[in-house]
Amino acid sequence: MKQFLVFIGKILLVLLLSAFALDFIYTTVFAQSETRNKVENVINSKPHNYDVIILGTSRANNHFVSELFEKEGLKTFNYGMSGAHLFETSLLLKLMIERNWKIKNIIVETDLNLSNEKRDDGTFGRFMPFMHQSETITEHFKKEPDFTELYYVPFYRYIQFDAKVGFRAWYKTLLNEPTNTLANNGYYPLGFNPKANMKNNIESLVPLRNRYFEEIKQICKANNINLIAVTTPMCSNVKGMDYFKKVKALYPEIKEYEHVVEGDQYFSSCGHLNDKGARLYTTKIIEDLFKK
Amino acid sequence: MFFNSLSFAIFLPIVFLLYWLVFNKNKTTQNAVLIVASYYFYSCWDWRFLFLLVFSTLLDYFSAIMMENSTSDKKRKIWLWLTIGINLGFLGVFKYYDFFAQSFTELLNGFGFQTNPVLLKLILPVGISFYTFHGLSYVIDIYYKRITAERNFIDYSLFVSYFPLLVAGPIERATHLLPQVKIKRHFNFEKAKEGIYQIIWGLVKKVVIADSCATYANAVFDNYESMNSLSLILGAVYFAFQIYGDFSGYSDIALGTSKLFGIDLLKNFNYPYFSRDIAEFWRRWHISLSSWFRDYLYIPLGGSQGGMWMKVRNTFIIFLVSGFWHGANWTFIIWGLLNAIYFLPLLLQNKNRSNMGEIEMGWNLSSVKTILNILGTFALTTIAWIFFRAKSITEAIGYIQKMVTDFQFDSQYLSNERYNFELLLLVVVFVLVEWFNRSKVEPLSGKASLIKVTLAIMTLLALGVYSDYKEFIYFQF
Repeated sequence: MKQFLVFIGKILLVLLLSAFALDFIYTTVFAQSETRNKVENVINSKPHNYDVIILGTSRANNHFVSELFEKEGLKTFNYGMSGAHLFETSLLLKLMIERNWKIKNIIVETDLNLSNEKRDDGTFGRFMPFMHQSETITEHFKKEPDFTELYYVPFYRYIQFDAKVGFRAWYKTLLNEPTNTLANNGYYPLGFNPKANMKNNIESLVPLRNRYFEEIKQICKANNINLIAVTTPMCSNVKGMDYFKKVKALYPEIKEYEHVVEGDQYFSSCGHLNDKGARLYTTKIIEDLFKK
Repeated sequence: MFFNSLSFAIFLPIVFLLYWLVFNKNKTTQNAVLIVASYYFYSCWDWRFLFLLVFSTLLDYFSAIMMENSTSDKKRKIWLWLTIGINLGFLGVFKYYDFFAQSFTELLNGFGFQTNPVLLKLILPVGISFYTFHGLSYVIDIYYKRITAERNFIDYSLFVSYFPLLVAGPIERATHLLPQVKIKRHFNFEKAKEGIYQIIWGLVKKVVIADSCATYANAVFDNYESMNSLSLILGAVYFAFQIYGDFSGYSDIALGTSKLFGIDLLKNFNYPYFSRDIAEFWRRWHISLSSWFRDYLYIPLGGSQGGMWMKVRNTFIIFLVSGFWHGANWTFIIWGLLNAIYFLPLLLQNKNRSNMGEIEMGWNLSSVKTILNILGTFALTTIAWIFFRAKSITEAIGYIQKMVTDFQFDSQYLSNERYNFELLLLVVVFVLVEWFNRSKVEPLSGKASLIKVTLAIMTLLALGVYSDYKEFIYFQF
């Protein structure tokens, strides 16, 4: 039995050392990259100056055409991330500030995402390689129930979020293989989809006095950034559109833009404008908020 | 509690230490601790089904004794059929009732009688197909006087409920397992070490091979209408490796776990994808089920004694029943039928036992023929797996039709955000590792084992799929 316990000890030691080694190798590679996604693009960045930064979910990513802002002489980047919640949006802003970015205006998409204060695992996972690198990230994640394992157990964070920061992402990062995430200054245009489901039911959603939106407001105030919070369009066949009225009642400062583009020909799916629709929407935003 | 879960990683060392260090006094205490552990293990799925397990244990235990005590053959036969009837009755109600009700209603509706089926929609108790067959083999062996009835209830309970094999086999035989639980086990370092190697290799098969293949196979099968020929071929190949990695990985973990307690279980897989014909495949795939059907169905039906017609009939019966054993769906029945059809030419030419020996390879023409036979057998098996994986026969036929008529062989980006070919290298490496270790139980033991274990652990950590967790496929059977 003693012999067996020594054998098991060796196996556990191999496991531990492998985990430490892999953790080191993965973290080192991810620490060098800034071209594969928006999270690492911010974390590994040098100080920037921007006239407009766009934040939010895919409904920001696919709706705000950076090029149209640039045409008006406004240096702009769209940092909207598909699936992100305000939890990650707020963290991304904190990291920009930590890296001494100078930002004049921030446009935050604040509509359906107000109903949620939880993390989005897909976006959360992208921050994992940088947990030990940034005090801001550590602080932001401290209240998460699995923080201890993610922070202290070597390689656990990479296992837990292997779809985002697993072997494939590591390998592609090592090869410096770029993605299209940062193309078009972060804006991702969608095409017209004739088979799209132009229906949605948002009756179950309830907007919250969202602590992460509150954080964003405080950060902007403390850093003299003009915060523009807006809603974005939905297709015509939506059940529960009174959600937007509740948003307005809760946050009167949020500007209502959910109806500025109408007609299914402008949508790629019920919650996402296609490129044509996005251009109409962005033009309206620029006219109303940057030209008047 | 799954073999690849954190809870099992905590459960197993606790049971191991209790078994060898605290309750190691005699075989009764050893068996008692394994029974408690097994019942706890089973209750982690749904404690209510423990009653079913206990009932099944009691039924087979007492009916075996009654059968043995019976003075006349008629009474023995009555006990046998009563036990088989009740066991299969439970299996029928939980697993097949809704299927029959649905199929019968569809048949009536086809004749113009409008009826609605009364469906029970019961949850299938995990492992019911396995422990029912386990118990059946015991009572049938008693009936044929191959063994004597077990009078020690603790020993018998462990035979039925032993946790490494409880939920997905291997389907044990009383002649193999009972003698082992009737004696005190002494710790054997070499056996325990083998067990650990087998567990690690089983985890690699499940977490790295099966679960990686699953993400690709699902992406292809769920969207087969928009896939090209290359994606559909690769999807079927990925599923072939998914099901192999999943089930043989499970069996490796079960066998390895059992070795830690000094008990050997029946080998369930023997590198089936290196089979040279379909008959050899069935001697290498899910061996404990194939041999169960051979011994308790094929042979009692007359086996190959009654001439060619009888052989063909019995072969079709066991393949169809085997398909149906897997699940209450026509797709499984067609899968069984297809395998029977593959088997038929070998049977008619009396060649079903022509590839019994080890695979010999060299730089000669016969080795090329062997490789072509292996590839051909794998292709046939993979086509049959399409029926096993598809949700319906229509879907399976649609899949195959598109696969052979599309003629597009470009790389395709799948819904799992990967290109269709990306996993091929991993599959090829896995096949090579298995090929060069096909004479061993697993590839980790032998020379430089520490290096091989380190590589296996690093592979598990780096290439394992953890976020998209998948249950073992055979738990649903």
